[in-house]
Amino acid sequence: MLKKILFRERTNVQFIFATAGALIGLTALLLSLQLILDVRSFHSNEEELFGPNSVVIQKKVTKLTTIGINSTEFTPEDLQSLREKEFITDVAPFASADFKVGISEVEGDGLPHFYADMFFQSIPNRFMDIDVDWNWNEQSEFIPIVLPRDFIMIINYGFAQSQGMNQISEDLLMAARLTIHINGNGQKTQMIGRVVGFSQKISSILVPESFLTYSNALYGNNTIQNPSRVFITTKDDSYGELEELMDEMNLDISKSAIDVAKIKTIIAVVIGIFGIASLLIMLLSLLGFVQYSQLVLSKASYEIKTLLRIGYSIRQIVNTFIKQLSLTFGIITVSAVVIMMLVKYLLVNPWLEKNGINIEGSSLLIAIVTAALCFVLFISANYVNVKKTVRNQGNA
Amino acid sequence: MYLEFKDVMPSPLRDYPHDEASVWKAGFKLEFPKKVILNASSGKGKSTFVSTVYGLRRDYIGSVELDGKPIEALTLDEWIELRRLQLSAVFQDLQLFPELSVWDNLCLKNELTQHKEEQEIEAFLEKLGIGDKKNQLCKNLSLGQQQRVAIIRSLLQPFELLLLDEPFSHLDEENAKIALELINQETDANGGGYILTSLGSYHGFEYDSELKL
Repeated sequence: MLKKILFRERTNVQFIFATAGALIGLTALLLSLQLILDVRSFHSNEEELFGPNSVVIQKKVTKLTTIGINSTEFTPEDLQSLREKEFITDVAPFASADFKVGISEVEGDGLPHFYADMFFQSIPNRFMDIDVDWNWNEQSEFIPIVLPRDFIMIINYGFAQSQGMNQISEDLLMAARLTIHINGNGQKTQMIGRVVGFSQKISSILVPESFLTYSNALYGNNTIQNPSRVFITTKDDSYGELEELMDEMNLDISKSAIDVAKIKTIIAVVIGIFGIASLLIMLLSLLGFVQYSQLVLSKASYEIKTLLRIGYSIRQIVNTFIKQLSLTFGIITVSAVVIMMLVKYLLVNPWLEKNGINIEGSSLLIAIVTAALCFVLFISANYVNVKKTVRNQGNA
Repeated sequence: MYLEFKDVMPSPLRDYPHDEASVWKAGFKLEFPKKVILNASSGKGKSTFVSTVYGLRRDYIGSVELDGKPIEALTLDEWIELRRLQLSAVFQDLQLFPELSVWDNLCLKNELTQHKEEQEIEAFLEKLGIGDKKNQLCKNLSLGQQQRVAIIRSLLQPFELLLLDEPFSHLDEENAKIALELINQETDANGGGYILTSLGSYHGFEYDSELKL
């Protein structure tokens, strides 16, 4: 009965505007929030190996380098200046093996007979975000190795064909053991290695740092020079600074690493702007709703006064209002979540997949909690407003 | 319940020459249950008196006390409590909900107080001759009919003091008499009293006390 009196003139333009505004604002807010979370959770396979935002930098090889005037080494001063850059959070020079390395197949493991000279490098373990056991000690069964993906490409599509060899799949290569031939410091030894992953980002052959420390001490020729490649981790959205640094130090960075950084930066900026805009829409629609309830209250001014005069309490009147607003805004909140999910699953995700970006689907929990928080914010803002207005009517 | 006026002077009536015996000059103290008439010509402040006692206006100097407590100190919540349990009123402008039916207007009050059974309310309507208007919207009734609805509504709660501001102004003698009879009956049942303001007609009513304006 109270509802009947207080919401007599409910269906008006203001109500439709307030509802539509709140629905659009909340949907946009949730959608941008969800997309930001999705983009943050986005990993290429590469990044699963090396953690997000990390790139390998090296100095460009020029003619001067070739004739020995220029050097591609990073001096300790270079490294120090990298560490001082605000957008770089971690710097790790590559360590190199100080001995000769060769690999060949282990007989019976399915690989054709081959032998190749190689080299080993390592980066600190904190950069390796890899499923398999990357720790190595003297008791380990094998030395884990990460190969550049191009390496297997060259073998399969170049070398194998021209030599009449069978092609090797990544799985086969990872299943097979390799014989590692080590020669240095006047000693020779053989060990077992196994490929545990492939990398697009690092065109180097990586082994665990612990192995390299151990073997350099045993077989090293003490000819170690300054590192020529450095692994750095940058902050999110620091594509611009990275590009500046490249110019400044005449650096060479793998194209794909930059592209990922670039795409992520651009997406983050675009969604960020969208997010701020939707936050504003959201706040505006909050004001719109407060305005709407203010309008209903002033239209029902006579009714409120009279109800208070015949003994209805402020709480009863406020509760009637809040119940109605909660219902309305509850429907808006649920609709916003549903629309957000529909857009995400039916439009955005297929589009991203079509463009080669695979999204695992980050949790919807944060978006839903945000929707619930918005609901609470709306209702409490209106509660405070309605209570104040009803009290004023009673005292008028 | 005690009602006492101590040097009360509403600001709109400040410059008006008042009789020495008037409420505004002499003040008064009444103990209810009691049936009181407040008889005065138009413009002397009858409605001002009712609104003041009912806590709807504060534009006066002096002090009004209910049971020894100055009403100026009551909070809105205390007033609402008072209006539900001790104080009832028929306003001159009735204050009904025009968009609700007669029945809804009455139920709105009774749902709050749970004071009467549905049959009793129906009997009240029959007694005052508007039983057939039960489902009509209040705005479609004549003033006299609306007045009777307001009277019935004021009786759907417990009260110690019922304020009646010219409740029969649109009723003929016969209907006024019946309404007064109902008011008396319910006032006695509640063990309460009332103050009835009137423009000079007494409706053959026997009162215990008289106030002058």
